[in-house]
Amino acid sequence: MLESLSSLAYGFTIALQPLNLLYCFIGVTMGTLVGVLPGIGPTATIALLLPATFKLNPVSAIIMLSGICYGAMYGGSTTSILLNIPGEASSVVTCLDGYQMARRGRAGPALGISAFGSFIAGTVSIFGLILLAPTLADFALKFGPPEYFALMVMGLTVVAYLARKSMARALMMAVVGIMLGCIGLDPITATPRFTFGILELADGIGIAPVVMGLFGIAEVLENLGVLTKADVYAGKIKGLFPNREDWRRSMGPIARGSLLGFFLGLLPGVGSIVPQFLSYALEKKLSRHPERFGMGEIEGVASPEACNNAAVGGTFIPLLSLGIPSNAMTAILLGALMIYGLTPGPLLIKNSPDLFWGVIASMYIGNIMLLILNLPLIPMWVSVLRIPYSYLSAFIILFCLIGAYSLNNSTTDIYIAVIFSLVGLLLKKFAFEPAPLVLAFVLGPLLETALRRSLILSDGSFLIFLQRPISAAFILFALLVFLAPLFGKMRPARGLSEED
Amino acid sequence: MKKTKITFASVALFWVALGILLCYGATRLGVGSATEPGSGFIFFWSGLILVVLSLIAFAESLRNREEANPGIGAMNWRKIVLVLLALLLYAFFLEKLGFVLTTFVLLSFLLAMIEGNHWSKSLGVASAAAGGSYAIFELWLKIRLPHGIFGF
Repeated sequence: MLESLSSLAYGFTIALQPLNLLYCFIGVTMGTLVGVLPGIGPTATIALLLPATFKLNPVSAIIMLSGICYGAMYGGSTTSILLNIPGEASSVVTCLDGYQMARRGRAGPALGISAFGSFIAGTVSIFGLILLAPTLADFALKFGPPEYFALMVMGLTVVAYLARKSMARALMMAVVGIMLGCIGLDPITATPRFTFGILELADGIGIAPVVMGLFGIAEVLENLGVLTKADVYAGKIKGLFPNREDWRRSMGPIARGSLLGFFLGLLPGVGSIVPQFLSYALEKKLSRHPERFGMGEIEGVASPEACNNAAVGGTFIPLLSLGIPSNAMTAILLGALMIYGLTPGPLLIKNSPDLFWGVIASMYIGNIMLLILNLPLIPMWVSVLRIPYSYLSAFIILFCLIGAYSLNNSTTDIYIAVIFSLVGLLLKKFAFEPAPLVLAFVLGPLLETALRRSLILSDGSFLIFLQRPISAAFILFALLVFLAPLFGKMRPARGLSEED
Repeated sequence: MKKTKITFASVALFWVALGILLCYGATRLGVGSATEPGSGFIFFWSGLILVVLSLIAFAESLRNREEANPGIGAMNWRKIVLVLLALLLYAFFLEKLGFVLTTFVLLSFLLAMIEGNHWSKSLGVASAAAGGSYAIFELWLKIRLPHGIFGF
């Protein structure tokens, strides 16, 4: 513990260097901006800016890119509350009560509590990160291929379990994702697999074009000619500081949201979207007036907003201590680490303490910057929202195209993005969720290598996954999760979607 | 049987077919054995699992009431196809004509024809955006954008 604190102090000396402060500021500002703008998210932004960071030193670059991640969580709530359109997928739930509060003239406190809630949650998750990541990394040194394989299987099963529609369909998406991720040269024998003779596919399909297509362009296509003019809250926003009664009602939800978000964010693959649905469902269940949820209850804003922010901190733990990404956003960060010549995995903290502790300290500073950026500057963000969607849509497409292209300077990646935009649209049309697909896509190559290495280790026996205690525990947990739907109504997120 | 039910059932069958196709492709790559997994190993087993899951989804779609509301309702397919075509053309011409010109044409098309903004305004915004993004990404952030025959 004491050691962690002195390491943190060391981190602050790095994060407080003027240049790093500047990059942190750029990161959180960009994050807030893309968080506010519906249709363009942190993942697209990171992919877009990644090539520009190649010449920076890795610590400054990761400080900026992670600033985009958590900054977007702050920005997303603004759009949800004022427009009833989630600025980010992770702010969907905030629309339910946040927009109702705005309609009743309480936009100020709604924005205020989500900023303060996010700040508190951000702080909680940073301390969690400090306490858990180094311990977990030490523990993970014992991990061999079987443990990694079992952990990833567990992550994918949990994601499918948390899917809001049929679990079978979510698992289908996961399996498809694994296969898409494995396209390209065989990592062991270098045989081309499903590349159809296209040279660019030998390296596999890039995550950036897939994400740009599935989420960015697909969303614009979906809204073509359907979305009417957005109704921006026109009134003056006053009283951003929640009153004493608001605070009394929000403290519990913020605390619960922070813990829930953080611990769910820890699980590989959960990300920040599902936890906020669960936190909302939890508050509704705990409330003495569940019937008032959806009509402007501050609890319904405070908890999910705290939750999605805490979850971002949580997702950094598997990323920095195990080298396993939890969602598309952290997958691109993982790619960034590798491009900078760092090896993600249990040794990252020991080998690059300046990166790990510097980034953590910068997150704390970034959270303070965000609080300052978000409260007084809300009118500015609102004016950004007045850009008509009929213009914004073209810009979103342009950014996605540049983002897809710039990483490899390849037009093939643009074709891939376009194809995946159609895929994303069709998946949505037929009620398949893209989230498990993307996660599995990211984990696919890691999963395959871990599986094949394990089998080589065990001389072809699948029992190796059960003979080693840690991997057996992961597999057992995955199995329990997999079988849970057979034993009654244990699907939390599903229950929510049926109710609302 | 309701129309949505038929649609969802056929979508499930599509996945079954895809799974079978993948398994077949995997056998050609060489599945190998558990002792010595081959290049097609992961594809074969994933394909097989996909087939099983799709059959479950097929069964679900036949009895389930939950699927009564598909993901999204009406979509403007004519516009969607037009945009997709425009994007494919963009990818095709990008390296030949350069970023600024191709982007200007694409944005003008999207803004004026697809989103129905006024022509003069669209052209103005498109040229500003094409030039502006070139300045930001290529000149300032030093991200390499394609230059094409005109050199920009």
